[in-house]
Amino acid sequence: MMTNPTGRLTQGQFSFLPDLTDAEIGLQVEYGLGRGYAWSVEYTDDPHPRNTYWEMFGMPMFDLKDAAGVLLELRSCRQTFPDHYIRLVAFDSTRGIESVAMSFIVQRPRREPGFSLSREEGPGRTLRYTIRGHEGDKPEGERYRE
Amino acid sequence: MRHRVAMASPLYSLPGAPAPETAAPATVPAAAPPRTIGEVLAQSQAGAVIDELDAALVGLAPVKARIRDIAALLVVDRLRLAIGLEAQTPSLHMCFTGNPGTGKTTVAMRIAEILHRLGYVRKGHLVAVTRDDLVGQYIGHTAPKTKEVLKKAMGGVLFIDEAYYLYRPENERDYGQEAIEILLQVMENQRDDLVVILAGYRERMEAFFRSNPGMRSRIAHHIDFPDYEPGDLLRIASLMLEAQHYRLDDGARAAFEEYLARRIRQPHFANARSVRNALDRARLRQASRLFAEPDRAWTAADLTTITAADIRASRVFADPPPAG
Amino acid sequence: MATALLNPTEGAVTDKKKRYSAGVLKYRQMGYWDADYVPKDTDTICLFRITPQDGVDPIEAAAAVAGESSTATWTVVWTDRLSACDSYRAKAFRVEPVPNNPGQYFAWVAYDIILFEEGSIANMTASLIGNVFSFKPLRAARLEDIRIPIAYVKTFKGPPTGLIVERERLDKFGRPLLGATTKPKLGLSGRNYGRVIYEGLKGGLDFMKDDENINSQPFMHWRDRYLYVMDAVNKASAATGEVKGSYLNVTAATMEDIYERAEFAHELGSVIVMIDLVVGWSGIQSLSNWCRRHDMILHLHRAGHGTYTRQKNHGVSFRVMAKWLRLAGVDHMHAGTAVGKLEGDPPTVQGYYHCCRDSYTKQDFSRGLYFDQDWCDLKKVMPVASGGIHAGQMHQLLDLFGDDVVLQFGGGTIGHPAGIQAGAVANRVALEAMVKARNEGRDIANEGPDILRRAAQFCTPLRQALDTWGDITFNYTPTDTSDFTATPAVAG
Repeated sequence: MMTNPTGRLTQGQFSFLPDLTDAEIGLQVEYGLGRGYAWSVEYTDDPHPRNTYWEMFGMPMFDLKDAAGVLLELRSCRQTFPDHYIRLVAFDSTRGIESVAMSFIVQRPRREPGFSLSREEGPGRTLRYTIRGHEGDKPEGERYRE
Repeated sequence: MRHRVAMASPLYSLPGAPAPETAAPATVPAAAPPRTIGEVLAQSQAGAVIDELDAALVGLAPVKARIRDIAALLVVDRLRLAIGLEAQTPSLHMCFTGNPGTGKTTVAMRIAEILHRLGYVRKGHLVAVTRDDLVGQYIGHTAPKTKEVLKKAMGGVLFIDEAYYLYRPENERDYGQEAIEILLQVMENQRDDLVVILAGYRERMEAFFRSNPGMRSRIAHHIDFPDYEPGDLLRIASLMLEAQHYRLDDGARAAFEEYLARRIRQPHFANARSVRNALDRARLRQASRLFAEPDRAWTAADLTTITAADIRASRVFADPPPAG
Repeated sequence: MATALLNPTEGAVTDKKKRYSAGVLKYRQMGYWDADYVPKDTDTICLFRITPQDGVDPIEAAAAVAGESSTATWTVVWTDRLSACDSYRAKAFRVEPVPNNPGQYFAWVAYDIILFEEGSIANMTASLIGNVFSFKPLRAARLEDIRIPIAYVKTFKGPPTGLIVERERLDKFGRPLLGATTKPKLGLSGRNYGRVIYEGLKGGLDFMKDDENINSQPFMHWRDRYLYVMDAVNKASAATGEVKGSYLNVTAATMEDIYERAEFAHELGSVIVMIDLVVGWSGIQSLSNWCRRHDMILHLHRAGHGTYTRQKNHGVSFRVMAKWLRLAGVDHMHAGTAVGKLEGDPPTVQGYYHCCRDSYTKQDFSRGLYFDQDWCDLKKVMPVASGGIHAGQMHQLLDLFGDDVVLQFGGGTIGHPAGIQAGAVANRVALEAMVKARNEGRDIANEGPDILRRAAQFCTPLRQALDTWGDITFNYTPTDTSDFTATPAVAG
C-alpha cells in the first residue's frame, strides 16, 4: 500500500476526498458541460506520474447536453476494465487554452501498491532517479489482478 | 458496484495521529414539496408552456387534448410523490403519426419544454435524427453512431423521423436492427435520462410496430396528427406572413383559399410545409412585380402586401379546377 | 472643475526660429503637450499620477514628464534639428485631477514605437522610469498603468512555459496548485531543509519553495540544498504518484553564477527554478531564454517590488510591473493574496491577476485597469498568492482568484500542530472540497465555512487547522486603490 497520508494514488482533482458517488460525478460532468468542455473516459494499468497517455475509452464526447451520456460510457468502461484506474478528462477548446481543464479518478484497483524509487550514483554527490510502478514489471493486461 | 470498501476513502493516516473517522455521506438539498396542482404548475412554470402550445399552434385539437392529458398525469404524479407515494418513472416514449407538415416536430419541441419544466427531462433540448444518423454502413459502425446520438440526446428528447426506415425486412443483415436493439435497451433502462419520440406516416409506423413488438410495448403514448382543415391552413398562412411582416389583401386571401382547395388534391401535399413553400414563392413573385417598376416609390403598404396576382401566377392554377 | 484653469490650448511654439533659439522654454512650448493628439495603435500609452510642486501648472508638469521620459533636456539644443525630433517627443495629451486627492493629477502620455528597443524591458524602463521620478518640479510621480501596443508586445517571447503547458507538464488540472515556502527562511542545513520539502510534498502539496533570500549563505551551500531537495522531491513523487516540484532559487551575484546554479538544477531533474526580481530585467530575460531552452518553469519572487509599488503617489504600480514581467518572460509571479498579511485590496489585486492571465485585458477602473491590453496570444503567467494565508480562507481565495493560481501556505502548512504532512493534508482537503462544492453549484463565498467544517468531519488534520487558525484574517485598510471614477475628460 502507498504510504502517503491517503494511502492511495493522489493524481487528479479529488483524490483527497472520499470517492465520488455517481451522482457526484454527474454534477462535476455537468459543470464541465456547462462550460463547453468535451469529456473523455480514459483508463490505464500504468499510472506512472509521467504516463501522460492513458488509453481512451472511445473518443472525447462533443456536443453533449447532459451528464448521463458520460456516465453511460463510464459504466461501460468500468464493466470492461474492473481492475484498472479510470479517470474522466475534460477538454477546453477555447483559443489560448486548448488543453485539459478537468481531470479526476473515478475508479481504482482494489490494491494500490504504488511506486519504487531507484537511485543511481552520478559524479560527485549527484543522483539520477527512476520511479517505477510496482506493478509495472508485469506484462500489459496482467497488472493489478488479484 | 463492486465491493471496494477498503479504498472508498482516503485514510489521512499520519504517524502518531488518531485513527480517522468515517466519511459523512453527501446530502442532496430538497425543496419544499408542492401540495396543489396550481403549485406544481407554478413551481414548474409548465402551465405557461401548455397555454402557449394551445395559443400558438393552429388546429390540432386532438393532439392538444392528448398533451393536456399527459401533462395532467405528470402533474398528479408530482403531487403523489410529494406525499410520499412511491411512483415509478412513467414511460414517456411517444409515437407521433401523421402526414408531413402536420406539426409533429413543432409539437415535439414543445413537449420537450413541458417535460423539462415538470422535471421529467433535465435539459429539455430536442435532437432530431433520421436513419442515416443512427445506422452505419460497415460492420461495427452502427453501435458507436447510435450511442453517440443517444449521448447527445440525453437529458432531452430524441426525435426519430420516419423511424420505420430503421427496419428493412428485405435485407436480413441490415444494420438498422442493431440500432433498434440499442434504442430499446436505453428506452427501457434510462427512462430518467431520455424520452424517445418516433414519427412518421401512420400506416408505415403500424407495419413497423407489427414487426417490432418490443418497440411497440415501450411506447406509452400514441398521438395521431390529423391533416389540417383548409381554414386552419389559411390561419397558419396568416401567422407565417405576420411573422415576416407581410399580409394578404382581400383578393389574395380569396385566391389563396382557392389555391389551397386545388393544392390539397394534388400529390405530395404536405400541410403546413406546403403552405410555407407556397408563400415563399408568392413573396418571390411580389418582389419581381415591384422590381419591374424601378423608378416608382413604393409605400410601406406596397412592400408588405401580397396581391391576388402574386398567388394566381402559381402553376397550381394552370391545371383544371377541382371536380365537384 | 480645477482643470478649467489649465488653459489646455496654450501649447507648442510652432515658429521654428523661436522654438530653437538658445534659452529655456516651457516643456509644453517645446511640443511635449498636445491636447489634440490622437494616440496611434503603435504608441505606448502611460498613465502617470503626478503631484506637481506648489505653483507648478499641472499641464506643464505633465509635459515635463513626457519630456524627461523621452527626448527633453532642461534647455533648448540645436542638435534636435538634426533629427526628426517631433516623432521622438513623448506627448502628454490629457490631464485630469485625481478625484478626492487634491494636488494630484492623472496625466496620459503617448510614446512613439521608435523610442524602445525591441524585446528589451531594460530599455523601455530606462525611458519610462529612468529620470522622471527624481524630477524636481514634481513632488511625486507614479506610473499607474501602461498600454503596450501589440506591435511591441510581439517583440517579446513572454513566459517560457506558460500556465497551460505548466499544467500539462505537472498533469494537474481544474484546481489551484498548492505550495509552501520552507520555514524558517534562514539557518536550516541542507539536510534539515530537505526534510521540510519531503514532508510537505508527500502530504499533498504540489510545490515547495525556497524563500527569496535563500541563496548560498554559510549555513547552507546551494549545491547541498539542491541535492537534498531533489531527493525529497523524487521520494515524494514516488510516494504519491504525482509530479512534484520545488522552486530552487538560482539568484546569485553574477549571471555566470545564476547559470551555473540553473544548470545544476536542470542536471538533477528539477521541473522549476526561481529568480528574485532584484536581479533586474536583463537577468530575468536572460534566465527566461535559458528556461525556454531547458524545459524549465521559471518562478519569479517579487522581492523588492514594494520599493517601487507601495506608495500610492510615487513609484510604479504593480500592474505595470506585472505587464513588464509577463513580457520579460516568467511563468510564475507573486501577485498578492488580498486576504493575507501583505498589502492589497481585493479588486486591485484581481487587476494584477488579469494582467497575468488574460488573453485580452479589458479596461476596468474598479480593478485599476485603465487601458484595454491585447496580449496577442502571449503565454499566460500563473499568479502566486503567498503570505499569511491558511486553509480557513480557502473559499475566499478560490472565489477571488479561480483555478489558475498557486496558493502558498507556508506557515499554514509547516505550523500545523500535528506536523508538516498534516498541514499539507489540511490544505489539500480544504482545496479539493471547495473546488468540488463550487463545481456542484454551491455559493462558496457564503457557504465556504460550512463546506470546510463538513470536510473537517472526515479529515482530522483539517479540523486541527481550522481550530488553530480558523478565524484569523488580516484586516488593514488597503493603501493602494484605483481612485479613478469614469468622468469625461476635461483637458485633452
